[in-house]
Amino acid sequence: MRLTKLSGAFVRSAAYERRFLAKNPWDFTMVVWIPLATVLLIWWIFSHTQVTDLPIGVIDQDSGPIAHTAVRYLEASPTLTVKQRYYSEAEAESAILQRDIYAIVVIPHNFSRNILSGKPAPLILQVNAQYGTHSGIIQTSVQTIAGTLSAGVEIQRLIKQGMAPSQAAIAYSPIKIQRISLFNAATDYQQFLASTVIPALLHILAMVIGATTMGRELRDRKLGHWYRFINTSPPNLTLWTHRKTRSILATDHPKNRQEGCKKDKIPSKSIATEQIDVLVLLFGLLGKYFWPILAYSGWAMLALWFATPQESIAIRSVTVTYIGLILLLTLSFWLGAIFTLSSFSLRMGLSSTAFMSAPSYAFAGVTFPYIAISDSAQRWSNALPLTHYLKLHIAQLQMQAPFAVSLPIVYGLTIATSIALFLTALLTKRALLHPERWGAR
Amino acid sequence: MSRSSHHNVSTTAADSKAHSSSQKFLGNFLQTITDVFSDKGVLLLLMIAPIIYGFFYPWPYSTEVVNHVPVGIIDNDNSNLSRTIVRYASASPQLDTRHFLNEQETKEAMWSDEIAGYMIIPSGLEQQVLSGKAAYVSVLGNGGYFLLNKNVQMGFLTAVSTVSAGIEVKKEVAQGAYLATAAANTQAVPLEITPLYNQTEGYGAYVVPAVSILILQQTLLIATAMLIGTLYEQRRHTTSVRGWLGRIAALSMFSFTVGCFYYGWAFELHHYPRGQNMLGSLLFLLLFCPTVATLGCVLGLWFRQRERSMQILIFSSLPMFFVSGYPWPANQLPEFLQVIRWLIPTTPAINTSVQLNQMGASVSQVATGFYALAALWVCYFVLLMLIRWHNSVKQDNALL
Repeated sequence: MRLTKLSGAFVRSAAYERRFLAKNPWDFTMVVWIPLATVLLIWWIFSHTQVTDLPIGVIDQDSGPIAHTAVRYLEASPTLTVKQRYYSEAEAESAILQRDIYAIVVIPHNFSRNILSGKPAPLILQVNAQYGTHSGIIQTSVQTIAGTLSAGVEIQRLIKQGMAPSQAAIAYSPIKIQRISLFNAATDYQQFLASTVIPALLHILAMVIGATTMGRELRDRKLGHWYRFINTSPPNLTLWTHRKTRSILATDHPKNRQEGCKKDKIPSKSIATEQIDVLVLLFGLLGKYFWPILAYSGWAMLALWFATPQESIAIRSVTVTYIGLILLLTLSFWLGAIFTLSSFSLRMGLSSTAFMSAPSYAFAGVTFPYIAISDSAQRWSNALPLTHYLKLHIAQLQMQAPFAVSLPIVYGLTIATSIALFLTALLTKRALLHPERWGAR
Repeated sequence: MSRSSHHNVSTTAADSKAHSSSQKFLGNFLQTITDVFSDKGVLLLLMIAPIIYGFFYPWPYSTEVVNHVPVGIIDNDNSNLSRTIVRYASASPQLDTRHFLNEQETKEAMWSDEIAGYMIIPSGLEQQVLSGKAAYVSVLGNGGYFLLNKNVQMGFLTAVSTVSAGIEVKKEVAQGAYLATAAANTQAVPLEITPLYNQTEGYGAYVVPAVSILILQQTLLIATAMLIGTLYEQRRHTTSVRGWLGRIAALSMFSFTVGCFYYGWAFELHHYPRGQNMLGSLLFLLLFCPTVATLGCVLGLWFRQRERSMQILIFSSLPMFFVSGYPWPANQLPEFLQVIRWLIPTTPAINTSVQLNQMGASVSQVATGFYALAALWVCYFVLLMLIRWHNSVKQDNALL
């Protein structure tokens, strides 16, 4: 009897929502088309996984043979393209200001002569550091070229001094460094950015849906209608015991403060306290969010399918990441709902959602590392579920960590999701008890 | 919340006067200002949110430069030479070193985010160097985090190169070279890097000035669409061409003020490069704000509901930022995206603003950006007028 009532609440609520989504194209779009388009768009944005052909300029004041070699090296670098030669600094600076080029390599006068006479002959790189990504890539590439040039010049000089070529290479640099990038060795930006940005965007979209799904019932004053629709079977005696446990469970909840005043002025449209069953609400909420959860499980799968490259990743790692992502998205639905229900306003719910979720990627420690984030901001970062999910995501999909390493995050997300669901149910109950606050814009 | 109900009864005889003023530029300008101040939701988005974001968004980046990255060292050689390398590495401001016994330990530390990379000094290193054989140390960074990886690689590279150069100098001196010439010789072609504009190469100084323009756009866009959507619900949305211009001017004014707050105060507070071409920057805001407000009006008439603009637009900030060409080079985008990205105001706006305000370009050097914004404004306005015309035709038909 009890179980059929709860499953009835779930099914009826899901049917209620299905009818709504079918009639409201914008809300349907948020569940289906926008997330799908987002996943595809972000993947597409980073489909050139390596940065190539960043335009730079050259001022060659030397024109010696080694200077020519240097220019040839710059032209040969896949990340750079020498867009133009300039003959004055002013001309080159103007090109940087117009963003025709992002850097100038200056080969000074006497460059070749200094090299031949054994003096250091610096190359000068003036780079537009305001464009951080561009600048970082250009600096690394030009640095490599300067290193190659140096080695060539040095080894040549040692050979001239009579050293054997093989010996010269060792003498030039006694300790060589093997630079290895563990994980994502190819510095694949699709793996680095796209695969982490997509969960961040799904998280934002899920929170927005979470806020609107409850918020529109409040705005349109239909919350009571929804509850009556899902809770059809007449009240029975078993409810009495449930009501008792409920009041024990929720002793510190704000609704109790209103317990006294509510009894004497129950508006005609409202639902009597006796009838509101938190468990029915819980199942009703699950039904109401059934379609978004179902759809986003699909988008999560698509996102991870993209993020899992050819190289073999253990099925257990993919599974644990998928569970983590679904937990993150479900948690996002409830968080959005909590923001709306606690403010009684769809608009405020969406504002809070935007405030928390939109900048969360900046706090997540992917592009700007977590350890460099200031201590106070780290606290906020830790409070965001996205930070923890992305930690799991990178550890499992890119660092190939054993799945046990990430289990604490999965447990944490599970606990957070359960608490958030329960809180959503309690807040829905509070909202049902205050029909006078419905309809806020 | 504060939607007044008296507007609904405004189809009476006393309406004729209000009607004529509602068609005028000034009348709409003033009415829009009144509407904004009497609507908490719009005011929150238009003024308060961008000011809060001005402090909130730069918050994680307040340290600006990544230093003291925790790294591991496995010293399998345990010689004088290897200890020297370890000493140099731990003296590096970029690194914060810890000792590990084997690779399994370092890997586990990496998985739990305790270290961001490690160096392995193989056994027999000193022996090989002394006997003039090729010797290697390995530096292993975490490719999953680009900025950390760069720090790990550069930190270890500097430490090892310094030690390596010392050995080289010693050998040359032993072979009879003067110490000064020998030391100068270690790098035949050194690279002197001059970072322009963002001279400290701070991360916040790089990303925040651009994101501020994005924030300005999103808040103005959502707030405008919310206001127009609300007017639509109240059937107060129709007005003349001049009336629309009045609305756009009023809404732009709010964001223009916020823009001045960013340029004049928020950037200064965070010590970002700013105000290189202040007049140009203001000129830019004068064009940018109306462009965005006009797009907001179009969206408001399309969405026709108060909260819809938030629901649809909140997620769009990140994708818009990535196609703007600022954080990710535009020539790396697929060709189709390289074209359609120009439909969004931030595409010309972010670069133009940074070029003017951070880099100090002249207005003629960013002419393309200005033309693009002006073209967008015209497009949006034509679109707005088309919707207005379409709506009025529909209304006339309904009356017939």
